[in-house]
Amino acid sequence: MARRVLGRGLMMLIAGLAMAPVCEAIDGAPEYRVKAAFVYKFATYIRWPPPVAGEVNTPFLIGVLGNDPFGSSLNDVVRGQTVRGRGIRIRALHRAEEALACDLVFVSSSEQRNLAQILALLRTAPVLTVGDMDQFAEQGGMVGLVTTPDNHIRFDINSAAIDRAGLRASSQLLHLARIVDEARGEGGHH
Amino acid sequence: MPGSASIGRRLGWLSIFSSGTALLTASVALLFFQLQEVKSSQVRRLETIADLIAFNVAPAVDFNDAEAANVMISSLKTRPAVLSAGVIVNDRIFAVYHRPGATTPEVGGRQAPLTGYRFSNDALTVYRPVSSEGRRLGTFFIESDLHEYDQTWRRFALVTGLVAIPALLIALLLSQLPQRRISRPILNLASLAAAVSDRKDYSVRAPSVRSAAEIEQLFGTFNQMLTRIQGQHAEIEDARAMLERRVADRTTELEARTRQLEVQGRELASANRELESFSYSVSHDLRAPLRAIDGFSKALLSDYRTRTLDQRGIHFLERVRAGTQKMSQLIDDMLHLAQVTRRPLERTDADVTAVAKEVAAELARRHPDRTVRWVIEPNLRASADAHLLTIVFENLLGNAWKFTGGKEDALVQVGQTSIDGQPAFFVRDNGAGFNEAYAGKLFGAFQRLHNESEFEGTGIGLATVKRIVTRHGGLIAAQGVEGVGATFCFTLGGAS
Repeated sequence: MARRVLGRGLMMLIAGLAMAPVCEAIDGAPEYRVKAAFVYKFATYIRWPPPVAGEVNTPFLIGVLGNDPFGSSLNDVVRGQTVRGRGIRIRALHRAEEALACDLVFVSSSEQRNLAQILALLRTAPVLTVGDMDQFAEQGGMVGLVTTPDNHIRFDINSAAIDRAGLRASSQLLHLARIVDEARGEGGHH
Repeated sequence: MPGSASIGRRLGWLSIFSSGTALLTASVALLFFQLQEVKSSQVRRLETIADLIAFNVAPAVDFNDAEAANVMISSLKTRPAVLSAGVIVNDRIFAVYHRPGATTPEVGGRQAPLTGYRFSNDALTVYRPVSSEGRRLGTFFIESDLHEYDQTWRRFALVTGLVAIPALLIALLLSQLPQRRISRPILNLASLAAAVSDRKDYSVRAPSVRSAAEIEQLFGTFNQMLTRIQGQHAEIEDARAMLERRVADRTTELEARTRQLEVQGRELASANRELESFSYSVSHDLRAPLRAIDGFSKALLSDYRTRTLDQRGIHFLERVRAGTQKMSQLIDDMLHLAQVTRRPLERTDADVTAVAKEVAAELARRHPDRTVRWVIEPNLRASADAHLLTIVFENLLGNAWKFTGGKEDALVQVGQTSIDGQPAFFVRDNGAGFNEAYAGKLFGAFQRLHNESEFEGTGIGLATVKRIVTRHGGLIAAQGVEGVGATFCFTLGGAS
């Protein structure tokens, strides 16, 4: 881990100004713009189980559970985009049950108290859970967004949770992520 | 054969040249295609690598993880041919790798195409798009050195050199065999032809050979030619022998005829001499009895004129005497003619003018009662026998003197003229002349054109002149008009 941080610093020296979009993440609103992009991109690197007949042409549904931190960012990001040929729709969710109808759910930090309950509900459902609260993945979430000390946005992946839900993450995605384990709360690279 | 190489060596060079050219052409073509192949295979290989990395690095770019991208690209360090590689996002370097120890690649401000490849002097660069879900995220580039390319063509040159030289030698050795089949018979034929030409021995024949069709044909034709030459040579020899025989026969024949002619000539000459000596002795022997007749008839006349002889007797005696004198004159002339024939010819540079003048003076002295005008051209000279020349002029001038006897203003001319381009002399008078119809008779002995009572003479003079001129190898001709005059022209042959 220390090596990785060191490497990242070194990389910053090399890449320098090339990382301008990341630097914009320092301020609040731009940070969620990056996170919105990440949410969408996760969808492109995860494979869902084949849809049931009749659902083939249904839109890819992204739910935001709790207080929406994105503003218009998420809508901006997904406008005109598709996920494996499916159009994308954003829906604000107020109850955990509503998440079952979605393909991807962003669990807002406002739901921290209900997290265990929410995750238990979605435990085996083919719904990708993404969150940016602390220890989201360790607590049973699938993808947890992390802001590094140098203001980069990284992500943790709980591959056990993903497998349990019948989803499959691409190896390229796993390669970029920090893999965490629910039991010990620590993980390593694949 | 100075200056030109033998056929064997030429064929050798020819085979080296042709196989060398073929080898070189093949090598160059092979090298060209080999290089093309190496190039395209290198491009393909690099494209495969680029495709793989571009695919793998896409999420790192997507999630802005430059570190992960760098780590991924750095895996290329296991490939020493790769000089550099990197990802360009929005015209900026997102991640980069370059070979340790290699100079920093020229990455700043790189105008990257979306896809494709580019050859520079010492590097090949392949470009591949980095994309995800159809979104273009950036461009991946990978730059490889051309070491393999250089090595390929160096190795190829080495192999070509190592292969070409032995191959050339083998080709040369292999070509020797069929070449000998061609060159050796030709060399044999050449030496055979030289031998034939030197010794003129057309009976030899070239041995039959097994070689190229043309060479076998050449041998056959050569032998045919020899056969033909042999035949012709024999014919020529035969013809020559026949000719020689014929010439010999003719020569023998001619010799025999010549001998015969010589004999005849000698016989004729001796007959001539005998005849001449006969006529000489006759003439000579006739003199003595004639002198006796003359002498006694003279004595009779002087002693018995007044005693017993009457006028009639005297007349008879005088007739006898005239006859003997006439006969004596005839004999003298005949002896003179014989003498002219017998004397050998002695040519000198004779003074013709002097001879003519002397004869004219003698005539004038003998007949002082006559007046004749002499016109004799001065400085006349001729290569002639002076004595015989004097006889010629005695006769010709004597004739002129004689035949101008009836003329008041007698004129005799002596001068130089020419007959058929030859220098000639003439004697012209304005005397009685003669009828040209009888000109052919003038020069015969005892031929007279005039009555003796008109002009006395024996008719031997012009025969003598003609003989003298003939002995000199010259010609004589006469022209005349009755009552007007006569002209005699003569040449003296030899150099004048």
